[in-house]
Amino acid sequence: MPDAGFETLKALIVEDNSHMRSLLRALLNSIGIKEIAEATNGQAALILLRERKSDLVLTDLAMKPMDGLEFTRHVRNDEHSPNPFVPIIMITGHTEKYRVEAARDAGVTEFLAKPITARNLFARIAEIVERPRAFVRCDSYFGPDRRRHQLDDYAGPWRRKDDFQQEAVVR
Amino acid sequence: MKPSSKKVTEIITPDAYPQMMSKPNAARAAQTLRSPQTAEKAQVAMDAQIPAMRAAILRYVEELEKAQGDMALVFEKAHEIRGFAETAGLITTGRIAEILCRYMDDMERIKGPLDATLVALNVSAIGRAARTEDSDAAMGDVVAAELAALVARRLAEAG
Repeated sequence: MPDAGFETLKALIVEDNSHMRSLLRALLNSIGIKEIAEATNGQAALILLRERKSDLVLTDLAMKPMDGLEFTRHVRNDEHSPNPFVPIIMITGHTEKYRVEAARDAGVTEFLAKPITARNLFARIAEIVERPRAFVRCDSYFGPDRRRHQLDDYAGPWRRKDDFQQEAVVR
Repeated sequence: MKPSSKKVTEIITPDAYPQMMSKPNAARAAQTLRSPQTAEKAQVAMDAQIPAMRAAILRYVEELEKAQGDMALVFEKAHEIRGFAETAGLITTGRIAEILCRYMDDMERIKGPLDATLVALNVSAIGRAARTEDSDAAMGDVVAAELAALVARRLAEAG
């Protein structure tokens, strides 16, 4: 798969299950991503992120001592985070609505429910490269824009600078 | 209609922060990701993982069966099985593990008491499905449907 642009990318897999790490590595390899680091929990992943550039992170949710939510919050919010904008795909069997919302509010870019398929994983990666989302910074959140859709009849609440016609300052 | 007072949210557009790849590369990469050739190559990569995954699932099943009585461990093992049984082609096994995980998770959330017999039934069904799925998928489907109905009833009673 030459010239697709993946060969130069560096990925990080954060997953405590060795079989799932192996599967994810195989899938990333199949699209040409060769430089892949692995960590078994969020704490180890934060150290790896500081030591080595990563263009894409795939993380599990439930891990010890640091889970994927806390890891994501650190990546997004730590003062010395090496890349607070790095795309993070959370891959988990915990698909209950409140967990999906917690992942979104932690700042994950995409959420992928297990069991994973190549098609679903690649669709998430395609979404990230093709339609990168704006980032939002406010008192209580920093991460990808959580409003996926623009609704013409949206009635509020209005909380953003660009929600205010006179104050629309966008970087 | 947007309001007119000040708020403090900052929007950082994609052009203002580093992207995974340049725009021309991104279009080509997305096309590659959706191509049948990519899907085919990925399937070969996944298929190569299946024997090891199936062996791991059978180990998890044994650990699950030994964990009976320790509900936290039962949940942990069922969750592992749910995670990749279907990817390994064990569809019914994954489905029953999903039923069990949902039941335990929902009960935890509403602080309801777990029905140990129902948990044991699910554990037994997971074990049977994992060991016989290739030869007896139809029976596994019937069992999974029955268990799903039982769990729904217990949750309705508890909720």
